[in-house]
Amino acid sequence: MKGDTYWAWSPDPAIVDRAESGGAVTSLLKFALESNQVDAVLAVKARDGNRYDGIPVLIDDPEEVAATAGALHCVSPNMARCLKEFLDGASDLRVAVTCKPCDAKAIIELVKRNQINLENVLLIGLNCTGTMRPVVAQRMMEEEFGVDPFDVASEDIEDDKLKIRLRDGSEKERDLAELEAKGLGRRENCRRCDINIPTMADIACGKWGAEGREATFIEVCSERGADFIDRAVEGGHIKVEQPSAEALESRRAQDRAATELARQWQERDFGEFQAMSLEERFDYWFGPSGQFSQCTKCFGCRDACPICYCKDCYLEADRGVVPRGEIPPDAMFHMIRAVHVMDSCVNCGQCEDACPVEIPLSRLIFMLNRQLAPIFKYEPGMDVSAAPPLRMVTEEELSLSGVELTL
Amino acid sequence: MNLQYVPTICPYCGCGCGMYLVLKDGRIVGEEPWKEHPVNEGTNCPKGKNAYKFLYSDDRLKKPLIRKNGTFREASWEEALSLVAEKLKGVPPESFGAIASGKGTNEEAYVLQKFARVIMGTNSIEYCARFCHSASVAGLLPTVGSGTMETSQLDIERADCILIAGVNIKETFPMIAKKVLRAKRKGATVIVIDPRRTVTVSYLGDLHLQLQAGTDVALINGMMSAILAEGLENKEFIETRTAGFDELRAALSATSPEQAADISGVAAEKIKEAAIAYAKAERGCILFDEGITQHTTGSDNVAALADLALLTGHIGKPGTGVNPMRGQINGEGAGDMGCVNVFYPGFKQVGQESAEFFQNAWGVEHLPTEPGLTYMDIIHKCKVIYLVGTNPVMAAPDSTNVKRALDNLDFFVVQDIFLTETAKHADVVLPAACWVEREGIHAWVDRRVQKINKVIDPPGEAMPDWWIICRVAEKMGYKDKFNYASAGEIFEEIRSCVPQYKGITYERLEKKAGGIQWPCPSEDHPGTPTMFVEAFGTPDKLGHFQAVEYKPPAEVPDADYPDVLITGRNLFHYHTGTMTRRTDTLNSEVPEAYAEINPEDATRLRISSGSRITLETRRGRIEVTAKVTGRVPQGSIFVPFHFSESCANILTNPALDPKSKMPEFKVCAVKEEV
Repeated sequence: MKGDTYWAWSPDPAIVDRAESGGAVTSLLKFALESNQVDAVLAVKARDGNRYDGIPVLIDDPEEVAATAGALHCVSPNMARCLKEFLDGASDLRVAVTCKPCDAKAIIELVKRNQINLENVLLIGLNCTGTMRPVVAQRMMEEEFGVDPFDVASEDIEDDKLKIRLRDGSEKERDLAELEAKGLGRRENCRRCDINIPTMADIACGKWGAEGREATFIEVCSERGADFIDRAVEGGHIKVEQPSAEALESRRAQDRAATELARQWQERDFGEFQAMSLEERFDYWFGPSGQFSQCTKCFGCRDACPICYCKDCYLEADRGVVPRGEIPPDAMFHMIRAVHVMDSCVNCGQCEDACPVEIPLSRLIFMLNRQLAPIFKYEPGMDVSAAPPLRMVTEEELSLSGVELTL
Repeated sequence: MNLQYVPTICPYCGCGCGMYLVLKDGRIVGEEPWKEHPVNEGTNCPKGKNAYKFLYSDDRLKKPLIRKNGTFREASWEEALSLVAEKLKGVPPESFGAIASGKGTNEEAYVLQKFARVIMGTNSIEYCARFCHSASVAGLLPTVGSGTMETSQLDIERADCILIAGVNIKETFPMIAKKVLRAKRKGATVIVIDPRRTVTVSYLGDLHLQLQAGTDVALINGMMSAILAEGLENKEFIETRTAGFDELRAALSATSPEQAADISGVAAEKIKEAAIAYAKAERGCILFDEGITQHTTGSDNVAALADLALLTGHIGKPGTGVNPMRGQINGEGAGDMGCVNVFYPGFKQVGQESAEFFQNAWGVEHLPTEPGLTYMDIIHKCKVIYLVGTNPVMAAPDSTNVKRALDNLDFFVVQDIFLTETAKHADVVLPAACWVEREGIHAWVDRRVQKINKVIDPPGEAMPDWWIICRVAEKMGYKDKFNYASAGEIFEEIRSCVPQYKGITYERLEKKAGGIQWPCPSEDHPGTPTMFVEAFGTPDKLGHFQAVEYKPPAEVPDADYPDVLITGRNLFHYHTGTMTRRTDTLNSEVPEAYAEINPEDATRLRISSGSRITLETRRGRIEVTAKVTGRVPQGSIFVPFHFSESCANILTNPALDPKSKMPEFKVCAVKEEV
């Protein structure tokens, strides 16, 4: 049932060995393929075993799933975009997708916009407290941990520390806050992310609540997820145990702490923008040395953004809205981008990752989203039946005097 | 359904940005960020984001073409190759010239120069770098001993003073602009030398030295004299690592910032300010390109910049140097491979000694020992030309006479991916594979060697350049010297005779995002980000000052042609437009040619943006749409050279720098008609 929780692990010793935390997710993905509940699995793989180079992979052979086991913290491929753009939104492909909370939220927002067929998608949610940019991570490994980045066998974020384990088994840790004060550590949007457990997926899997066991804590988040887990358990594809009350509480406590930290980062980062006077803001964004003045119209932000889905984009040269061939583009380029997506920003940070001139796009647009959220009581990516407020006109709104709907 | 994310490197400019190509069932359907790549960290410019689209253009060349009675007909490879071999046989060395591609792989460049030298017996092998950095080699060889970029791109953000001379990096090297922006945000001072107020000036520059086109030597000499007047020269560096300072100081005593101001039009105070900022910096970095090199005084301009760097000791440390920015993906590599009339592979000077070295390496005899013809001489003096992947009708100066010369050839072979403006003049056109349609390596701007893997098949019957050249060689009886089964075999041969590449292997390149920077002498050597750390490449290991004097451009405005024509580039297009004008997203941003005209001049001519005007020089006339903007100074017109319907090089002056044979693309006299 929705809400059920488990400690889960793989019955296959080889998978337990290969994976982290008991290999439950690996076994579940295999099961999904073997039982023909899905045609393929969309997961993230370290290309050639490189922990700094994560690519989406589409797997239809259950034997290939194990190669994607283990959390990669130094990569952030755009899973929602892959599903929407390159897999036809799962229109005729049944696919299980491993997803962090932001990936899952992005997919749900795209479902609302008819870009992804939710019927065909099984969302295997993965807890996440943040990922790092690969180039920054490599520099951090060298400068702060004093190791060759390619000697790192795994990384983890736990108890406010960034912990690494090297190939020789030795471990090192550094204080996360200290690293992030220096501009190292997690991607900025990740620091501000207050949703670490993907309850918007079909199941949410993670280490919190596993209490040091070689097991994954699984929370069932939907009826579909319940059905999937029940079948997996019945068929012996994963072994499960009931988590203790302490485990549940510990998980809640860790989640609260991470959320609290995220809210502090939000306050700090958004506070910087909000502290500026109107004049300062105009200058900061639109002035001659403003952020947008550096833009070279690469459309990287638009391409990466899961909320930007229009095939015939308003910003392109042939639409005649933004004057063609100008750099920096007219301010309307960024204004339109912001207005079109801000009610639904899922804080994936892909826009900021894609910007060649390092405009703090994610910080801006998620800040705007946080201001809209309480006004419209709308949390992006959580409930597939909640309509994006700036896209929809409600009955109530239509009945207000002075409101007209023109088509 | 088969979905693959395959990493590769952008085919456009010298930065060498990584990207993923997304393949669905074997067809490229998208481009995604490759976040691990150190040059661009998952970001790309507009060209990079759209880079794969031209590959699937309908008008890709798919079959060999033979000209008969003025039109082309399709032919088989057998027929076309046999014809080429027949026509090349017996052509005397002085009548043959080969022109290599700035976009071909190292393997392809190497095979073409070997063909020219072994089979045709000539050193008349050149490539487009004659038109961009021949002046850099002429200016840097005597001063520092090597004509390559000295700092790694990745270290530019460590500089605290960046002098950008004659390059509009925001539009032409966007990833290097990103590094400069980072440096600037950390407090670096950015000085831009450019006759135009480009976007680089507006959005990166702190100080704009807006000089009259072609007065760079005067300006730089003025800067150096200001540094000496303030006693800010780096005495220790000069003492320990240079020679010829006294002669430089004596020569500079005849100059001054005030004199520089008179000649260049830049205020003396500004010249001093820039000079002092650069001299006082911890790490001063000079970035320069066509605005410095493409002049009849190009090599002098470069030598002056080298003097400036040596004078202040801003050389030999990461984030410093006097850095030529080769704009093509293989601008560096094709030169490394010896596609230059005076260099065998690895920069061995053409002469007896080098000929013997390669006779030994290649198992041949009688390699040519005399320098070959340079690019423009090949065009005008040879009878038979074999040209690969380059477009002189659009890119060489005085296009009208280039076309005439090509039509006068006895035989003209063009190997390319589209029927370009140049290919239209060929007798035989051979369809080539490009970019991810074949395997090979390139050397990007900072000597960064990276590998391109084959990801899709070429269209129709197109084949890799190296394969085509080898087949011709075979038909000419040289199978045993051109017996390569793969690009990898060619690369092994390159490694064995080009010491700078010896330690680079395909395996090492596959494993390292960002590749390896040469020199890399052995397989356990990590590569060399920074040049000249301990010694210069000169025989005595010292930097040699070379005093140069200001000379005006070959053709300056006069009563008949009262304005200055400057040619250059736009962000959304690349060079002669072969790839970008076939890419909808890019071409719709900038769909037509334009000429930038200053508002005062526009008023005088009674035109506005959108008016059609005619530009005329002593070489010819073009019609173009006016774009009125204060970015170009009064009395100057700027025209990008991407548009065949308004070919800027119909106007340009073929006058050459005597030291480097570099044409003066950046200055000539023009008049406007409405």
